[in-house]
Amino acid sequence: MVKFTRLALAVLTGLIAAPAMAQDAPKLTIYTYDGFAAEWGPGPALKTGFEAICGGCTVEWVAADSSIGTLRRVQLEGDTTPADIIVGLDTAVAGEARATGLFADHGLSLTDLALPGQWTDAQFVPFDYSHFAFMYDTDTMQTPPTSFEELIALPDSVKIVIQDPRSSTPGFGLVLWVKAAYGDRASEIWAGLKPHILTITRDWSESYNLFLTGEADMALSYTTSPAYHIIEDHDETIKAALFTEGHYPQIEVAGVLKSSKHQDLAKQFLAYLVSPDAQQIIPHTNWMFPVANLAGDLDPTFASLPQPEKTLTLSDEDIAAHGQEWIDEMLKAVQ
Amino acid sequence: MLTLPHRPIRIAAAVALAIGIALLIALVLWAILAAATGDVGSTSRIDIPHLLRMTSIQAGLTTVLSIAVGIVLAWALNRLRFPGRDLVVGLFASAIVTPGMVVAFGLLSIWGRNGWINKASEALFGASIGNPAFGLSGILFAHVILDGAFAARIMLARLDAIPDNRLKIGQSLELSAWQRFSIIDWPALRGTIPGLAAIIFLLAFTSFPIVLMLGGGPANQTLEVAIYAAVRQDFDLAGAVRLAATQIAICSVVILAASALAPIPTSLGSSATPRWRDRGAARLLQWLALGVCTIGFMLPLVSVLIDGLGPGTIRVLMQPNFWWATLSSITIGTASALLTLALALTLALGRGATGSGVLRTILGMPAFAYLAVPAVVLSLGFFLLVRNLGVAPATAAPFVVIVANSLLALPFAMATLGPPMEAIARTRGKLIRSLGLSGWRQFIFVEYPLLGRDIGVMLALAFCFSLGDLGVIALFGTQDFQTLPLMMFRALGSYRSNDAAAIAALLLIGTIVAFVGLPNLFERIANAAR
Repeated sequence: MVKFTRLALAVLTGLIAAPAMAQDAPKLTIYTYDGFAAEWGPGPALKTGFEAICGGCTVEWVAADSSIGTLRRVQLEGDTTPADIIVGLDTAVAGEARATGLFADHGLSLTDLALPGQWTDAQFVPFDYSHFAFMYDTDTMQTPPTSFEELIALPDSVKIVIQDPRSSTPGFGLVLWVKAAYGDRASEIWAGLKPHILTITRDWSESYNLFLTGEADMALSYTTSPAYHIIEDHDETIKAALFTEGHYPQIEVAGVLKSSKHQDLAKQFLAYLVSPDAQQIIPHTNWMFPVANLAGDLDPTFASLPQPEKTLTLSDEDIAAHGQEWIDEMLKAVQ
Repeated sequence: MLTLPHRPIRIAAAVALAIGIALLIALVLWAILAAATGDVGSTSRIDIPHLLRMTSIQAGLTTVLSIAVGIVLAWALNRLRFPGRDLVVGLFASAIVTPGMVVAFGLLSIWGRNGWINKASEALFGASIGNPAFGLSGILFAHVILDGAFAARIMLARLDAIPDNRLKIGQSLELSAWQRFSIIDWPALRGTIPGLAAIIFLLAFTSFPIVLMLGGGPANQTLEVAIYAAVRQDFDLAGAVRLAATQIAICSVVILAASALAPIPTSLGSSATPRWRDRGAARLLQWLALGVCTIGFMLPLVSVLIDGLGPGTIRVLMQPNFWWATLSSITIGTASALLTLALALTLALGRGATGSGVLRTILGMPAFAYLAVPAVVLSLGFFLLVRNLGVAPATAAPFVVIVANSLLALPFAMATLGPPMEAIARTRGKLIRSLGLSGWRQFIFVEYPLLGRDIGVMLALAFCFSLGDLGVIALFGTQDFQTLPLMMFRALGSYRSNDAAAIAALLLIGTIVAFVGLPNLFERIANAAR
């Protein structure tokens, strides 16, 4: 009984996984989203990998429920934040994150990355990417639509599930995708999609599950999603539908906070994050494309995934200035 | 004329607790306002009247339907005896504490486009039933599964507590089934309705993931969604507090109405197996009600078990993290259940001890505090409070989760314990005064033995609520501290829907075990004390 009580106390104070730490070892505190720090995410392996090369530092992941949650938390904490780095923001919120003035320049030269387009951002370092796309199941859909307009032209019984742009990263990504592809015609496209929208969920996981359970024919996800099913479930039937308009990418980024007391160590971590050693970890844990040229070391499943012909882009400034208004436009059209 | 024992300490303790809870909510809102930067956001974009109208209609319908279903189901379960009845009652009750998402997916696997019923209908008749699981009908359906079964559980406890001698008199007077319901059952049920209706209305009013997922789009939304967007997306804290205050104000009207309605004194006894059966049409109706509710409520839960239990379960059981999460969940569940019991007893004993209507209303209100405050605002406020105290959020996380879960379970605990407590105060008051019992002895010798089973039900509810709640943990998440539902959502968020299904099934089994076991256990303990 005494033993159990002690165990319970230990659980309650969260001491279980905190090993005794030497006082002199610098500790990097990294805020990220849940899935990244989870045991099957990239977090644990990146921690091990970096601790092996940093000469006696420790890495501690702090997981918030979403990437936007990490930014909000740092904004609330201001200069007193224990976070040295945020990992897992993306280019859709980078503009807003930059505007907070909390991030320091990374000072790395990032010229030979395997990204769609050149990377010129001074504060944020990209570490993986994938394009937004609609998934379909080859068992139930033989000929997937090849554009938004084709999707709209399908019978109303063909249902898609998407995410709420106010609470979900891919949800916002779709708003940006439609905007980048159609500009002023965006609201027309949304109105055309409306009869096909089965529902708009709060998070990606709910809509993806609706698709997997056959409640919807297509779900908004990533071009890399099929890799999970091929590698983990040996299931080749889930595919991404490629659209001729081009696709909008999600590029995930990391940045060092100005308030960090370990600037050099933090930048060293960012350099490690884009190195081949760390990039090898990403595909099988985060199910995104690496940003380093892994060449022969990239899993053939990833290497053989169909890639969009064309990558659409919007500038940070545009997104920060008009993102709200585009979301409102979308909500109004599908209301 | 009521005779109440003089219990100033009980009243004082209850008043102090009520003030404490009100202060906590005020502090939470103040902490957010203090952190809000000057820029006024764009919450004016939100059409609040429209949201309120939609939400009120949805919540009102949910409440009426759930109470109606609850009465019918409780009535049927009280009359019928069959093997496995305890298990059925436990399964019905477990819906309310199962994470909403799990229930929603269970619902879809029965009623969805690709669900059992549609598949059967296509195979048999070659026609599809369409898709009733989305839109307002879907939201109502999911909510009634959650809340109707819970209402039935609370009402059943009241019906089972009708003393044997009343039933014997009724039987000898040869009351018809309808007379029996209106003369004997209804007075026992009536006392639970205000509290239950308030809880169900508030739950439906603030329900967020289910409304979004089954709502079919932004047309069916709640104020809670707007608040979430204000906090997360616009980072407009002042706007979020303004919206939260709007929600609290509206919910307060409902709470005030519920608290002001004095529960009607009912009589109490130990539950005995009734030897008095209804005959003919009534009996048929009872079996029919039970059958329909079983199909409507139990199949979605059964489908969760069927989907989740398989080879994947073994893989989940092999993960050390699953066991850590289980241990965290059980520890937190136990702590919250005990804290909830303490809070609920303090409030209920205080309420039972006072004859003043105003004071009774005031003491009834704090129980609902948590339901009226949006979860995202609450977790943000707690987070800021903890920071202002200079404690690391990761250290505070378990304690915050325990307190928040206790507050969440409090209205349910009050709905369980309130009516029998009132009944004791009103029916045993003279006896207690004439015996000159002290407050403590009154509890040990009179109240506790009569309340044993209800305390068990309440503990089971509070325990399982903490197992299922995710609301507050969002901002406090750390790598090392995870509960089972959190682990489930993490699995769902990284493609591992099979693991998530297995965890959901195991969670449900744990819930059912708690619901079947704890009330029986406590009734035994309480009866042994006599």
